[in-house]
Amino acid sequence: MQRTIRTRPTLPFSPEGDDGLIVCRCEEITKGEIRRAVYDGMRSMNEVKRYLRAGMGLCQGQTCQRLVQGILSRELGLPLGETGRIRGRVPARPVILEDFGMSDGDSEGV
Amino acid sequence: MLRYEMIVIGAGPAGLSAATEAARSGMQVVVFDENARPGGQLFKQIHKFFGSREHQARTRGFRIGENLLKEAEEAGVKVVLNAAALGIYKNKEIAVSFGGATRGYRADCIVIATGASENMMSFKGWTLPGVMGAGAAQTLMNIQGVRPGGRILMVGSGNVGLVVSFQLLQAGCQVEAIVDAAPRVGGYGVHASKLSRTGVPFYMSHTVVEAKGSDRVESAVIAAVDERFRPVAGTEREIGADTVCIAVGLSPMGQLADNAGCEMSYLPAKGGYVPTVSEFGETSIPGIYCAGDAAGIEEASSAMIQGKICAAAACNSFGYINDEEFRERAEAYGLSLSKLRAGMFAPQNKGRTDISHTAEGYPLSGSLLQRGYISQDEIEAFPAARPGSGKGLRPVIECTQNIPCDPCQDACAQGCISVGGDITGLPTVDGDRKCTGCCMCVAACSGQAIFLVDEDCGNGSGLIGLPYEFLPLPEPGALGLALDRSGNALCGAEVVEVRKSAAMDRTAVLMMKVPAGMACAARFFRPADGRQACRGR
Ligand SMILES: Cc1cc2nc3c(=O)[nH]c(=O)nc-3n(C[C@H](O)[C@H](O)[C@H](O)COP(=O)(O)OP(=O)(O)OC[C@H]3O[C@@H](n4cnc5c(N)ncnc54)[C@H](O)[C@@H]3O)c2cc1C
Ligand code: SF4
Ligand code: SF4
Repeated sequence: MQRTIRTRPTLPFSPEGDDGLIVCRCEEITKGEIRRAVYDGMRSMNEVKRYLRAGMGLCQGQTCQRLVQGILSRELGLPLGETGRIRGRVPARPVILEDFGMSDGDSEGV
Repeated sequence: MLRYEMIVIGAGPAGLSAATEAARSGMQVVVFDENARPGGQLFKQIHKFFGSREHQARTRGFRIGENLLKEAEEAGVKVVLNAAALGIYKNKEIAVSFGGATRGYRADCIVIATGASENMMSFKGWTLPGVMGAGAAQTLMNIQGVRPGGRILMVGSGNVGLVVSFQLLQAGCQVEAIVDAAPRVGGYGVHASKLSRTGVPFYMSHTVVEAKGSDRVESAVIAAVDERFRPVAGTEREIGADTVCIAVGLSPMGQLADNAGCEMSYLPAKGGYVPTVSEFGETSIPGIYCAGDAAGIEEASSAMIQGKICAAAACNSFGYINDEEFRERAEAYGLSLSKLRAGMFAPQNKGRTDISHTAEGYPLSGSLLQRGYISQDEIEAFPAARPGSGKGLRPVIECTQNIPCDPCQDACAQGCISVGGDITGLPTVDGDRKCTGCCMCVAACSGQAIFLVDEDCGNGSGLIGLPYEFLPLPEPGALGLALDRSGNALCGAEVVEVRKSAAMDRTAVLMMKVPAGMACAARFFRPADGRQACRGR
């Protein structure tokens, strides 16, 4: 099961030159916003996701999850594997609501 | 709700192999894949694969995919395309979206074979058009037939970065440089060598720090990194490029396993979060299996075997094969898998930098690891790479790392080449056997590491047979330059013959004449008219 380790950053927040870098392309969340979130108390991938929507867009974190984990790992001084992960949820792929609603019925022979 | 005995998610090598194995034993199987084409990653792979005959070595990847699909269909597997699995619920119920609706299915057992996604990296300008994953570039060229760009910077020197770079050259792009933050080339030396000799420079311990351009990439800035991988100020260098390809690793796509409630763990050697599985690929939920890259980043060859292993386990637990049959199959597949998981690039050796010698005791080429090509004095340490003293053409094998591969051994009907039973062994040349100069070994070598050399073919000339996979093929009589292993121009050269045949499967062999004394160093041909895909420095 997923383990969330609650640690806190060891130093106070200080701005960095590349804080304006976009990390989550789908939701346009910057590195600075994610770093700030850590100092606001977000300690895991899922918390950052709920707080900022990073990883909640079209690609569902397929692009940014690793990058956000990397930022968390650096800010919190934790190994990458202890920064948590986005829980796999239904639907695993973006789907048109109309298609999602339509269930069973004609199974086209499959 | 329709019920299947086995539902496989993903029609890549792992999924198709699992499906065929189960269907052949009598199970009723359906495979869903969200792609329009089955075969997963294989359909983009136009190069010849490594491994042994049992792993379909020396066959081009997309052909392996075609074979797998044919086998699956013959075994009675139903393959449904454009069908994305959206979730796995309790009691092995699966929601699949296709044909404008979402449908529920129930399975007795499920094989998750969803593959992997590409890792990205963020740097200034990385959201500009022209920055893309190497896999995306490969899809563009090999599936859509679109050249991703003209001048490429490749970030990452693992096998994916190296293989895609070579394919970019084949598509007519210029690969300006390959950079990697690691101090050593991550992929096979033979892949690096075939890029270096065309003139592609490697920058190890370097990274990309910026992609520049107003509304698309116009250049890229690279910089050296320190031992903690931080860019070193003052080492920046700007490289003209319209495309930056990122090949910095893959992450297993385990979301469906996670969503089903399977126990997950973070295993760096597997590439990230993967479901915890038994030796037969069964997750913590009985009847849900995971195989291929989704269970840990590896290779198509091992994905196929893993697929078969979990299908055999499923067949056994549903009574389609008895315990003894299962034990036999599991043992055979396990053996086949262990042959692939050996050598210096084996999963258990990932990230190791302390391997300094081959298993045979030869010193590994430092130049190959740091610059992407073997230096002349290093190559001389390898007996198979010495042309020998006899008259006529002789095979010269510049395969110097322990990789799981042996097609060269099968290719030579004269028995000149042997790898031995352990396929990670270095090939050796039996000098007592007569080489007929048939070229089959040159064409069969998946690493394009075999050359035919006659140091003195008379009239003060030497002759070299070299593998060539670029279009247009030079005509006999074509004049140009011979390049050395690093891609530097060495001397004038003439192509005296171009050998090709169906058995060579589109790897042509150029017979190139150079002045005597150059045959031991000349390894590539650049036509004088420059009408060729690759660039020289
Ligand atoms: C450039 C490159 C070169 C390579 N060269 C070699 C080589 O020389 N030799 C070698 O052995 N291996 C090579 N590989 C590795 C090999 O391609 C992969 O290891 C292999 O394809 C993994 O097989 P798989 O079946 O696990 O996954 P994949 O081939 O990735 O197939 C997964 C399939 O699952 C489908 N899928 C995913 N999610 C869903 C969903 N939710 N619903 C429905 N379908 C879904 C995908 O569409 C895909 O078709 C190379 C890879 C790359 C990128
Ligand atoms: S050229 Fe032919 S005979 Fe000579 S080593 Fe190669 S395969 Fe054998
Ligand atoms: S020389 Fe033999 S073992 Fe080496 S890459 Fe070529 S085919 Fe494989």
